[in-house]
Amino acid sequence: MGSFSIPVELIRIVVGVVAIAAFVALNAIILVYLERKVAGHIQRRPGPFEVGPHGILQTVADALKLVGKQLIKPAGADAFLFWLAPVLGFLPIFLFFLPMPFGPVLTTLEVPLGLLLILAFAGLNVLAICIAGWGSNNKWSLLGAARGVAQSVAYEIPLLLALLAVVFMKGSMNLSKIIDSQGAWPWQWNIVLQPLAFLIYFICAIAETNRAPFDLPEAESELTAGFHTEYSGMGFGLFFLAEYANMVVVCAVATTVFLGGWKGPFFSGSWWFLAKVYLLLMLMFWPRWTYPRVRFDQLLNFNWKWLMPLALANLLVTAFIMKVG
Amino acid sequence: MSDAWIEGLDLECNATCRYEESGLKRSVFLRPEEAPKAAARLAEAGFFIEDISVLDTADGLLATYHFDHFECPGRIALRVVVPHEDPKIPSISAIYPGAAWHERECHDFFGLEFTDHPNLIPLLIPDDMTEHPLLKEETRRKGLAELVQPGTIETCSTWFKGLFPDPDENEDGEGPDGAETP
Amino acid sequence: MTETAPFFSDADLAGDFYTRRFQPGPSENTLILNMGPQHPSTHGVLRIVLEVDGEYIVRAEPVLGYLHRMHERMAEEKTYLQYLPNMGRVDYLHALAWNWAFVGAVERLAGIEVPERAEYIRVITTELNRVASHLVWWGAYLLDLGAFTPILYAFEDREWILDLLQTPTGARLTYSYFRPGGVAADIDKEFLKGAKDFAVHMRDRLKMYKDLVTDNIIFRKRLEGIGPISLDMCRRYGATGPVVRGSGLAYDVRRAEPYSVYDRFEFEIPTTGSGDAMGRYRVRMEELEQSLRIIEQAVDSIPEGEIRVKGAPKVKWKAPAGEAYFAVEGGRGKIGVHLVSDGSNRPYRCKLRAPGFSNMSLFGEIARGILLADAVAILGSLDLVIPEMDR
Repeated sequence: MGSFSIPVELIRIVVGVVAIAAFVALNAIILVYLERKVAGHIQRRPGPFEVGPHGILQTVADALKLVGKQLIKPAGADAFLFWLAPVLGFLPIFLFFLPMPFGPVLTTLEVPLGLLLILAFAGLNVLAICIAGWGSNNKWSLLGAARGVAQSVAYEIPLLLALLAVVFMKGSMNLSKIIDSQGAWPWQWNIVLQPLAFLIYFICAIAETNRAPFDLPEAESELTAGFHTEYSGMGFGLFFLAEYANMVVVCAVATTVFLGGWKGPFFSGSWWFLAKVYLLLMLMFWPRWTYPRVRFDQLLNFNWKWLMPLALANLLVTAFIMKVG
Repeated sequence: MSDAWIEGLDLECNATCRYEESGLKRSVFLRPEEAPKAAARLAEAGFFIEDISVLDTADGLLATYHFDHFECPGRIALRVVVPHEDPKIPSISAIYPGAAWHERECHDFFGLEFTDHPNLIPLLIPDDMTEHPLLKEETRRKGLAELVQPGTIETCSTWFKGLFPDPDENEDGEGPDGAETP
Repeated sequence: MTETAPFFSDADLAGDFYTRRFQPGPSENTLILNMGPQHPSTHGVLRIVLEVDGEYIVRAEPVLGYLHRMHERMAEEKTYLQYLPNMGRVDYLHALAWNWAFVGAVERLAGIEVPERAEYIRVITTELNRVASHLVWWGAYLLDLGAFTPILYAFEDREWILDLLQTPTGARLTYSYFRPGGVAADIDKEFLKGAKDFAVHMRDRLKMYKDLVTDNIIFRKRLEGIGPISLDMCRRYGATGPVVRGSGLAYDVRRAEPYSVYDRFEFEIPTTGSGDAMGRYRVRMEELEQSLRIIEQAVDSIPEGEIRVKGAPKVKWKAPAGEAYFAVEGGRGKIGVHLVSDGSNRPYRCKLRAPGFSNMSLFGEIARGILLADAVAILGSLDLVIPEMDR
């Protein structure tokens, strides 16, 4: 029996990974379309409209174009690092989705420390940015990489602390268990118990995924395109894919930890999970098309002077209440 | 605005102009080496630099520095004539750093050499270009007196009289024109 | 880890003429960085050679001339009227101000009187054009600061102006509408009504702009205290327009050297004493309102009559010998045209004073010790139009 159960688990993972790959790619296409539509409507214009009905095939066309483009390596760039970076930025995405409970049974891998797995591999993204900036042999890329490293390292801490507050309360890092501990109705979700943690987490998530107004590593009006200035074709495509996949990951984690995951007042299931994730994604689009970019020192000041102490205080209060209560 | 800045400067010609006619309030001719001193005086009096406009004439290159005043407007023209063969003017960029670019521009277009300029490299034309595009052919150059009215002259030197033959008549010739505008 | 450490290789330090001239400083921790000529926030083709220490700028030197077209030489090859289209191309955002500077110089040179109606038309169209120019600046500036949306709002309003102006001028961007002695075509009732409607519409939008952008905390933190320019600095560099007004001095050519019928209108010269990028921003936003006021007054009081004086210069017209300097207030500052005539049908010399040229020349001084992101904020606050600087 034992010798038989292993292949089942393996098959489950293989199928899961394939599904994740499909999900990531499809998501990116839908998200890009959605973002452009949202941006368009915020800017009082229709957004993509030409390819397919209401421009629905626009991102497909764009993706095909990206795939078809020549890969150019700038002279003087370090070939190994230059090509390693986008792959390194993209691959961890699969690991993020592995323990993610999409539905009551839709989990690729039940890991007791699922949250830890995600947070641990989130750090790889920084490495990818760092390597891309260094390997490009471009000064702008280098500046972008320097910004990226400082920013990611700084914002990872309050992000962790915010999640830790929930973990403290639930006593588990297993994502499915965290969902189980929450009810179906919104007032039974963790966001009610930990509103500050959710706010801190969400701000940090925007910064972690390098989205405006915290998109400093790629700030195009300052650093041309930052760390991915020199990337063309799918080199850029992978960074792009990774960015959108990362957005989904942070929103999925937020949904799981704070918003009750796949649970809903009625018809609980994956659709609730997706609906919540997409709602959060829309929330992430919003500031990008509304706010100007912050300056680098302001970004770090905001983190070290406000988010960090707040997250710490939140954690302490949580710990205190847990102990006393 | 007081004209105190003029006091003690060694001028070739000092003339007032009618604003309605030329847009100038005062036009002053100087020897090149006096330019920084005059600029320093103007800087002290609170003038700002508008531009440096060079004119290629048969009598040499005429560099006109236009100055104006923020609080009491009235354009001043400092004029310097240098020969084509040796177009050297001391730079005023130490006094008016904004003049540095104007001087570089004049260097580009006319080949004027501004001595003591910190960075007299091409500004607008390509760095390997040797021609000076606004220099005219010898035959197309006109005399200075044909092009520029000195205005109502208060004082002037013999050098200036040589340049503008019979300035009195010149001034008279201008009078009726100016009288037309009430 | 690599054979050639990427950013200290000889190839990088060598660079072109200007990079080589701009030798690295004594410190080994600095980097020579070329911002432009193809940098997204140098709008067009401005180039700045920077020496940076991390993200801090140690020294900066602008390199101009990538869009130099030698307009001054073209003036000497064309007759006075043939040269007019060039004026719309010096500063494509405030083309009518340049139109005016040139025809003003010709009129001063030849003593041409302009009919009153033409003066009013000039005021209305130029002020509309100024609003359009400021709107482009506003949108582009926010784009530089990382806000993507405002430029589309600004262009929506600007579109209104372009639609209005294309009726009398026949162009949407590079106008050559003014003529020595008047304007090329008359405006009709519809235009006047449109201009008034626009003023009402724009006021509404300005409120929204304020709520959306000016009061935004991120935006304010990006601008306040950035790039302070003192009044003394304006004098030394000849900075004019919103730059000097942002430094607290109400200097406006429309008041300082009154031309045309500007002395008949009530309008304020907005100033702020802060001298920083926010000051210059506020001045421009307030100027939008003042321009609308001028437009409304001019539309209400425009007289009937000729739009061009009898015997206005024709193509082969010969100007009297002499020189004239005419200055107008452009969107970016004091525009000056110095015209010298030898009595023929072509200018002997036409010197164009571009306000952006002088405004930009102070960048090297204020850029010392600032952050790269602030450099973008400062460049935008100077409202640079590269073709105007390069001419």
